[in-house]
Amino acid sequence: MSEELISKKDLLDIAGISYGQLYRWKRKDLIPEEWFIRKSTFTGQETFFPKEKILERINKIQTMKENLSLDELADMFSPNISDLQLEKDDLIKRNIVSIEVMNFYLENDKGVKIFNFPRILEVYILEKLLQSGEINLDEGKMLLQVLKDNAQHIKQKSCELVFTRKLGVSSCLLLLNTEAAHFERGTKVVTTLALMTCMEEIKSKLL
Amino acid sequence: METKNRGDLVINGIGASNGGQFHLVTLNGRGTVNSDLECSEFECNGSGTVNGNVTANTAKVSGNASFKGTIESQKFTVDGTAKIGQNLYAKQLQVSGKASVGGKVKAEEIKLRGILTIGEDCEAETFKAQYRFTIGGLLNADQVDIEIYGECKAQEIGGQTIIVKQHKGSFMGTIFKPFFKTQLETDLIEGDRIELENTIAKVVRGNQVRIGPNCHIGVVEYTEEFSQDKNAIVGESRKA
Repeated sequence: MSEELISKKDLLDIAGISYGQLYRWKRKDLIPEEWFIRKSTFTGQETFFPKEKILERINKIQTMKENLSLDELADMFSPNISDLQLEKDDLIKRNIVSIEVMNFYLENDKGVKIFNFPRILEVYILEKLLQSGEINLDEGKMLLQVLKDNAQHIKQKSCELVFTRKLGVSSCLLLLNTEAAHFERGTKVVTTLALMTCMEEIKSKLL
Repeated sequence: METKNRGDLVINGIGASNGGQFHLVTLNGRGTVNSDLECSEFECNGSGTVNGNVTANTAKVSGNASFKGTIESQKFTVDGTAKIGQNLYAKQLQVSGKASVGGKVKAEEIKLRGILTIGEDCEAETFKAQYRFTIGGLLNADQVDIEIYGECKAQEIGGQTIIVKQHKGSFMGTIFKPFFKTQLETDLIEGDRIELENTIAKVVRGNQVRIGPNCHIGVVEYTEEFSQDKNAIVGESRKA
């Protein structure tokens, strides 16, 4: 996976921010550690960033910091979420989940009607894939099981969810910090979903 | 944290505990705690060992303490010596004795008047240091204020305002000066406003950069202002 890199100096120039701001955002975990890529250049060590991602992130921070404090922003970007708890009806009202998917989820997961963030994430992913018609209900059950079994990995790492189908047999897997994945011929990759993006989508819906 | 109804753990003399949740924890003799501790106040006056993580509101080490795991405390004070195997998270960190941390340190305010050794990164809003420190990773703080008494090292320093000063030596200090290295050594310093003395750095980047006496800098890159003392060596300076 090769992406275009941008040096720290150019980044500060383009985004119009100062060293102080960049380091403060890094401290607040607004910019993930993995984006700081060290490389040696002829002037010594320099730090580079994945250009597209960092510019998009800085853009987001700059537009949102007017009405949110840095700590609130940090909550928004960080994968391990605070003690957020919502009722079933709240999720439906906020358009995170439709009623049908919610009922299906509750059928399979005999939990209480209070949702913490991992459960919100599960139901949101389910909603997304079911509504787009990419998976059917049985596959939805499989998906939920994968998400539940690996809940502790999802919290820490940047995960990607991959759904494949071959000769009508479907399979669902979770990739942790992977660069690329290859499948045998004839496999149809139904969908890949970055969980980080899902979390950010949920959070922007919640705020 | 509701801690009022919990019991206290007090070890005077030689003793061991299996850890758990307490209100007050005091280790006065040779106390050993064999797993995680959760308490509102932790105090170690003798020689204490905790073979797990500590979560506390305030933690104070006046004797000699060693922690295997991670410490999370609103306030953490070291007057004696403390050794922490993993990370340290605190709002206020004050070290007047000697502290060494194997992992990283995250705090809002760090006040150092002794010796601090950190294996990985150190993050704080304000970092005030007098005497000596060694940081294996990046020192990242909004305000970095360093007064050098001895040998200070950090791999990189980044922040908004970075000020490094030489301690105005006492009489004894001037006599023994040749034996001590009073210097800050680092690869890279980046900040908006930078003022340096007695510093060895390969690269310094900032908006306003002032290089004071006894500095040895490889490259200075600045955007607004640059000044250099006549007793400083700067390999190259360029306006970006």
